[in-house]
Amino acid sequence: RLPFPSQGIIERDETPMEKEIKRLHQVDFEFSDIFYFCRKGFEAIVEDEVTQRFSSEELVSWNLLTRTNINFHYVSLRLTILWVIGVVVRYCFLLPLRFTLAAIGITSMIVGTTMVGQLPNSSLKNYLSEVVHLTCSRILVRALSGTIRYHNKENKPQKGGICVANHTSPIDAIILTNDGCYAMVGQVHGGLMGVIQRATVKACPHVWFERSEIKDRHLVTKRLREHVMDKSKLPILIFPEGTCINNTSVMMFKKGSFEIGGTIYPVAIKYDPQFGDAFWNSSKYNIVSYLLRIMTSWAIVCDVWYLPAMVREEGEDAVQFANRVRSAIARQGGLTELPWDGGLKRAKVKDTFKEEQQKNYSKMLVRNGSIG
Amino acid sequence: VSQGAHPPPLLFCLPTVTSEQIEHLHRRFKQLSRDQLTIRKENFDSIPDLEFNPIRGKIVHAFFDKRNLRQESDGLADEINFEDFLTIMSYFRPIEMNMDEEQLDRFRKEKLKFLFHMYDSDHDGKITLQEYRNVVEELLSGNPHLEKDSARSIADGAMMEAASICVGQMGPDQVYEGITFEDFLKMWQGIDIETKMHVRFLNMETIAHCY
Repeated sequence: RLPFPSQGIIERDETPMEKEIKRLHQVDFEFSDIFYFCRKGFEAIVEDEVTQRFSSEELVSWNLLTRTNINFHYVSLRLTILWVIGVVVRYCFLLPLRFTLAAIGITSMIVGTTMVGQLPNSSLKNYLSEVVHLTCSRILVRALSGTIRYHNKENKPQKGGICVANHTSPIDAIILTNDGCYAMVGQVHGGLMGVIQRATVKACPHVWFERSEIKDRHLVTKRLREHVMDKSKLPILIFPEGTCINNTSVMMFKKGSFEIGGTIYPVAIKYDPQFGDAFWNSSKYNIVSYLLRIMTSWAIVCDVWYLPAMVREEGEDAVQFANRVRSAIARQGGLTELPWDGGLKRAKVKDTFKEEQQKNYSKMLVRNGSIG
Repeated sequence: VSQGAHPPPLLFCLPTVTSEQIEHLHRRFKQLSRDQLTIRKENFDSIPDLEFNPIRGKIVHAFFDKRNLRQESDGLADEINFEDFLTIMSYFRPIEMNMDEEQLDRFRKEKLKFLFHMYDSDHDGKITLQEYRNVVEELLSGNPHLEKDSARSIADGAMMEAASICVGQMGPDQVYEGITFEDFLKMWQGIDIETKMHVRFLNMETIAHCY
């Protein structure tokens, strides 16, 4: 069950196995079953759903953004005119609008959190801090023309837990804070980001690490553990992949996040590439050009699934736990899982599905009276 | 659109496959072979979808079967190149509208021969009861709930059916050696297999790429 349709190069017969084999059983013996499996095998060899989905990021129909068109080609005058109109709309109309909104959002965030930070610690302060964070997040999401669909809100991360999500872009954090309040974890930056960090930490206990502290893994784990122990604190938001991935796959999760303890709330985020490519290729673009690209896309459309909470089981080490969480996220988001060695592995679900298939097949044979 | 080396020139005629389709297949070949010139059996392990298939072993085997590769010698090849890959894929060509009787007949025989080779694992030109049992067991493999005997009885039942079609009534002492290719053809007389044993490429023009 994929959220988006995948186009292939061969025509696939989607008739379910039972129907197809019944059709083939004009002669009453099992030679015909070989046809079905033979053909399926060849289809898999010519075109494999997994590899195809992973290798082709090309859209079936062009969305009028040059950046998603790998081989830019003059096709027709009408298309070019449409494209030019698109450019004008995006750069001259949408961009200034969004930029203004973003500026308003960031300023409100800084001003608001500084003001709330002046208050003494109390439930009022916490409440106001949440209001400020949520409001500014919402403004920022509007600034990106973001349309976000949240699924399974009953599984939303609770206080004292750790929220874990797949990482595609710096705006992932804003996507999530649009719907709830989290304690962010990250490194202290300079510049505008630093200003925002210093302001927000006054209002809400985000966990910002100095550069030197990050190197000391024990220190990091200790601080995070302290945070998690305090059940009144907001859930931490962590992206265990450690780097932005192009949203078709989930890479190896760093096990550090899973050693802290506590309850893990996995979240899967999947962007719709039709409206704009949210992936930040940090080796190719710096943050400013990335934000410019985001703000001149048509929109950011994505789905967020909140998955049921998970805890580390007896006898499971951090790595196994991390893999288990990763499988759950990949499965929900329709993403493939990718371990570091580049091979393609699939979740455990596949084995049981395979057995299901074969069980179904043998059930059919039995039912047809082949067995006395 | 395609990067890298062009596919090697074809030494045989594939009138029904367009050059675009060959390019696609070549890309796929390169993917499977990890940019080498030949594919070995192990390369097929990288296809997750194929793992589902109970007769996976036989299908992969078919790619290396020298009888299918139209080579003079017998047995199994260690590795195949792109031309061999295309040769095997050609068994799954869909029918053309403009084929005449003779072509259609040859077409059908080729596909059935391919299937026959799948069953006849010892290459002796006959499908014996044991070979047939092997195939049925493979089809039902991985299901722990089915006993070995059930697979056997399915196979035995099927062979009896085949015998009655091919030889007719048998005397009590007659032993049915195995299904030869002629018998195999007889079994499939009148049954339309050409449309079931093909992989059809989507017409590239219908996909609205704005390239």
